[in-house]
Amino acid sequence: MTAATAYLRSALFLFTALILHLALFSDLRVLGVAPEVPLAIAVTAGLVGGPERGATAGFAIGLGIDLYLPTLFGLSALIYTVWGYAVGLVEVRIFRSAWWINVLITAAATAGGLLVYAVLGELLGEANLYTDRLYRVMGVSAVANMVLSLPLLGLWRWSWPRHLGEER
Amino acid sequence: MATGTRTGRSRFTLIFLLLSSATLLTLDARDFEPLQRTEETLADLISPLRSGADRLFGPVGDAWAGITGYDELKTENQMLRQELQELEGQKILDSDAVVRLESLLDELGLPYVQDIPNVVGEVVTANVGNFDRYSVQINRGSDDGIRNGMPVVTRGGLVGRIDGDPGRGHSRVTLLTDPGFEVGVLAVGTDDVALASGGGHGEPLMVARGLEIDTEVALGHEVVTSGVDRSRYPPGIPVGTVTGIDFDEARLLQLLTVAPSADTDSLSFVTVLLYDPLAEET
Repeated sequence: MTAATAYLRSALFLFTALILHLALFSDLRVLGVAPEVPLAIAVTAGLVGGPERGATAGFAIGLGIDLYLPTLFGLSALIYTVWGYAVGLVEVRIFRSAWWINVLITAAATAGGLLVYAVLGELLGEANLYTDRLYRVMGVSAVANMVLSLPLLGLWRWSWPRHLGEER
Repeated sequence: MATGTRTGRSRFTLIFLLLSSATLLTLDARDFEPLQRTEETLADLISPLRSGADRLFGPVGDAWAGITGYDELKTENQMLRQELQELEGQKILDSDAVVRLESLLDELGLPYVQDIPNVVGEVVTANVGNFDRYSVQINRGSDDGIRNGMPVVTRGGLVGRIDGDPGRGHSRVTLLTDPGFEVGVLAVGTDDVALASGGGHGEPLMVARGLEIDTEVALGHEVVTSGVDRSRYPPGIPVGTVTGIDFDEARLLQLLTVAPSADTDSLSFVTVLLYDPLAEET
């Protein structure tokens, strides 16, 4: 497989994930909380592809979801970029990945990402982000993304096989 | 060496993407029109695919809601049965109440909402994320005459307003439960115009300003939009019913809690009133 095919697959994967999140996953709520698929996408991209691809995937899916959120355009993109990059760094420098560690990192990164999103959003003047409900959102989303992480990691590996070169 | 080059490149990518995000944030915060148009165009382009996926996966979401909310649905069903029985028994009283409301609205010179041009839209997405519980998207936009700020109603009454510039075929509705939502209201039968604001998800609206302490308001009084002076809402749209009255002795004001008359939790279709207060004035 060439790099061009890999880019095409990645773009297709990101776009499909966005549509599925909008049409399906945002309705699959537990305790009123939906899985944070875009954040899981950014995190798992960092886990599989390293910081650069984590940041790029986070930026792309963040922009996509920002089209549909009432918050400032670019806020999700900013946070997912940083989160994809940071998780990629953690993965490269520290763990080098047993599958269960990747799953746990996804859960922790989801909870952390949501907290940063809420705090930064409030700092930028967005209302109703840092509320009593935030901790429930963090907990449920972390568990949901943990479940989703295994198929997402597999899909990222399909999109960008190891022989095409990674950052590690 | 190769690792160093890759690290340098990934840092460059990170900085580039961060600067891009920050630029977009800044432009959006300043309501930069070309950016907003681009957002709308992109959302419009994705819209058909999304609608198709919605139709495809809608039953899955419904089934999931049925499974996870089974107990809630059962309780709700029981409550609805009970309510239905009560309603059957009180038909006559209800019709009297309607006549009373209509006559009071007549007295106040409030025009009927039905006279205002309107567009019916379907709610295509409620709550895409976990933080936007106070907005929904509908499948009507600027091509249908919808503009920023227009009131959105259902048969139950006011549910919110159009928020931001709509796309050609879609727009966002901010619900009246949003704590930032404010609407001028009056209790039917009184003259005091007060300001009601959203109280949060599942909570009543709060009226904390404008209602003097000696105004006669009772529990169960209907509250409607006031429609005063360039208000973005026409007068007479039902907002809710008074469920609590308190007094602020220091400011000599009454504080009301108002249960919204429209159910914002299960919206399927809404009506956007193509109401422009400036045009109405001229």
